[in-house]
Amino acid sequence: MTEYLETTVDKFIFRVAKDCYYNSEGVWAKMEGNQVKIGLSDFVQQRSGDVAFAEIQPEGTQVNFEDEVAVIETIKVDIGFSSPVSGRILKVNPAMEDAPEIINEDPYGEGWLAAIEPDDWESDRQRLFDPDQYFSRMKVEAEEEVAKGHE
Amino acid sequence: MSKTIKVNNKQKVVIVPCSGIGKTYGTVSREAAYEVVENVRPDQTHLVALSLLVLGDESSRESVAQNPAVTIDGCKLACATKMVEESGGTVVKDFAVLDVYRKHREFKPKGIAELNEGGIKLAAVLAEEVAEVVDNLDNNTQIDSGTEGGSNG
Repeated sequence: MTEYLETTVDKFIFRVAKDCYYNSEGVWAKMEGNQVKIGLSDFVQQRSGDVAFAEIQPEGTQVNFEDEVAVIETIKVDIGFSSPVSGRILKVNPAMEDAPEIINEDPYGEGWLAAIEPDDWESDRQRLFDPDQYFSRMKVEAEEEVAKGHE
Repeated sequence: MSKTIKVNNKQKVVIVPCSGIGKTYGTVSREAAYEVVENVRPDQTHLVALSLLVLGDESSRESVAQNPAVTIDGCKLACATKMVEESGGTVVKDFAVLDVYRKHREFKPKGIAELNEGGIKLAAVLAEEVAEVVDNLDNNTQIDSGTEGGSNG
């Protein structure tokens, strides 16, 4: 069962899964068997708002570390997200087609974006933030966002 | 608690849109509501402002408590739906702007004070969907609701 780091900023509660690694945009990556699943952190999904559409690079696409792997359209913004891992996209979460709101409902679980066959996971992992590092960054970002909202 | 209300030919359907000022989807919900009550079904509907329900305005609370309500929410917080239920009203249909947009991606809404063309068209489509619900509330229709709205009002 996944464990989380958790913080409350203003009225918002943000969770960071302890079994994932994160890039600077808040895209998480988790090794499962011989593939790496990716998705959006709880902070990113809350900051972005309700997801209307999610477009993921198609299965079979080769992506490099930091290549755009997904574009999310929410009620607030359209955002592109970079891949936290190099490799070939094995599977796109089928829920992204019909029910992308699952990203908001279960960002670390059913709301995963894609599964990637990594080229060199160990090398990529060293370029990512571990949960504690991401948690610290996320808290700062969250506090800045809330402060902006109060201006 | 289940609640049954009876729609008769003297009743108007209450339309309660999102009050999200400064939010595009909130604006779409309000524009759709105005379209329904002013142009599409003016004789069968009337608008109740969510802010008045929040403030506890007696005539607004009474209106939603005694008439069937259609709510139009701008986000998943669903404030309009929740507030109608808390005011003792019966929501016969709750619309979410996002759900309608997912069916009409060609009408991407933008703007706040003034919607873009996509937003205006999306509001028009939404208004037609609301009108369809209003039309289906035939006179003397019994409506069962699973809401937990109280008996106040």
